[in-house]
Amino acid sequence: MAVKKETYTEAMKRLEDIVSRIESDELDIDQLRENLREAQKLVKYCRDKLYKADEEIKRMLEAEGK
Amino acid sequence: MFTDMEAPSLSLLELNGLVRRSIHACLPDEYWVQAELSDVRVNRSGHCYLEFVQKDEKSNALVAKARGIVWGNVFDRLIPYFEQETGQAFVAGIKVLVKVSVDFHELYGYSLTVTDIDPAYTLGDMARRRKEILLQLEREGVLTLNKELELPVLAQRIAVISSATAAGYGDFCSQLEHNSFGFVFYTRLFPAVMQGEQVESSIIAALDRIYAECENWDVVVIIRGGGAASDLSGFDTYELAASCAQFPLPIITGIGHERDDTVIDQIAHTRVKTPTAAAEFLINHMLQTAERLENCAQLLRQKVDERLRREKERLERCVARVPAQVQMRLQREMFRQERLAGRVDAAWKSRIMKEQYRLQAFSHMAVVLQARFQKEFHRLDLLEQRVKSASPELLLKRGYSITLKDGKSLTDASLLRPGDEVVTCLLKGTFKSKVIETKKQE
Repeated sequence: MAVKKETYTEAMKRLEDIVSRIESDELDIDQLRENLREAQKLVKYCRDKLYKADEEIKRMLEAEGK
Repeated sequence: MFTDMEAPSLSLLELNGLVRRSIHACLPDEYWVQAELSDVRVNRSGHCYLEFVQKDEKSNALVAKARGIVWGNVFDRLIPYFEQETGQAFVAGIKVLVKVSVDFHELYGYSLTVTDIDPAYTLGDMARRRKEILLQLEREGVLTLNKELELPVLAQRIAVISSATAAGYGDFCSQLEHNSFGFVFYTRLFPAVMQGEQVESSIIAALDRIYAECENWDVVVIIRGGGAASDLSGFDTYELAASCAQFPLPIITGIGHERDDTVIDQIAHTRVKTPTAAAEFLINHMLQTAERLENCAQLLRQKVDERLRREKERLERCVARVPAQVQMRLQREMFRQERLAGRVDAAWKSRIMKEQYRLQAFSHMAVVLQARFQKEFHRLDLLEQRVKSASPELLLKRGYSITLKDGKSLTDASLLRPGDEVVTCLLKGTFKSKVIETKKQE
């Protein structure tokens, strides 16, 4: 789970990185499309983390609590 | 030695009565006294019996002691106020400034009756003690360690140290669970005693249990229900403060009190007043995380839109420029073609001229050939003439004849033998003859 937590931070960092690259016109249109696709995946991943209960984490934490 | 029987003697009661009267006479006022509580007991009727002590500052040895009493009606008025003001239970071990009357009872002896208490003194003393603890932690270089930890961007797995029965714990969990943004939190209770003497050891034990699986958690929350003012001294101990300061996860405290921060509050990564406020803090942190994400997502959309619009404009500008460019290109092409055509023409002409030259050369040759042919024809005529003149027919006409032997013309008589048959051809007809004799030519 420590890895997953890292991944959120990493995902966020990657996302911000992509946004700033788009902002600075570094990417050509093809790259833009690829980056946009990746960014949308990252946004979804992060949103899921915030708003969707991960049953696996839930189970793990409950199991160890008993 | 003998007793002067004449001298009046006193009963113990009389003597004690004398002491009492003397004391009342000499110490008629009420006095503010600083002392430490060493034993505090409240009996069934609500009166509080206690013991005041004074210790030598260096050796800590007792240097003074006195019994004391807080009558029930005074206790009910003073002590809740004191506890509320100090956040400190009225228990053994604390230092107090109390207003007392000095009493002496014939049977129970010397005691101090408490009529008032100054919480400020106790607060001052507690503050001094807390300051000492903080100074020690600072000397050890651990004072700010927990504050220096970074709260994870995603702080959603929360280890809660609290008492399971505390209302504060329930409030905390329900607030997290029903947060209006729909954020997900995972919580688990690590039960601990949150009041009285066991606070220190039981919270340390809970911290140890969390430490054992610390990769499972993002943050530790130490909370305690509000309610009646109660004993917070357990949160002001060195051991607990040192454990919290060095704990590898950020600690959030919400131990519900109004007075100055406890040591643990000052050590913690974040301190809030109540469990509800702790939940709010976490929700708010999550909100910041979510806002960062949404800002990013929005910026992404906006920037991509902007970029696409710019690209489209660029493309349109290009398209608009196309006809002009095409025309220019066409002109250039035409020019090129004309130049090419000119070159082709010149080349063609020169070729034709060359061919004409060649043709002229041929026609010249034809003349030469014709002359040659005429010459040849002439020669042939002459030859024919000569052949005609050399024909045997002509000779035969002139009277010559041809003699043949075995079909071959004869020119040498020595080849004949008498008796050979020969045929002689004349202009008109032939005749056969036999050789009689031959003569050799001389």
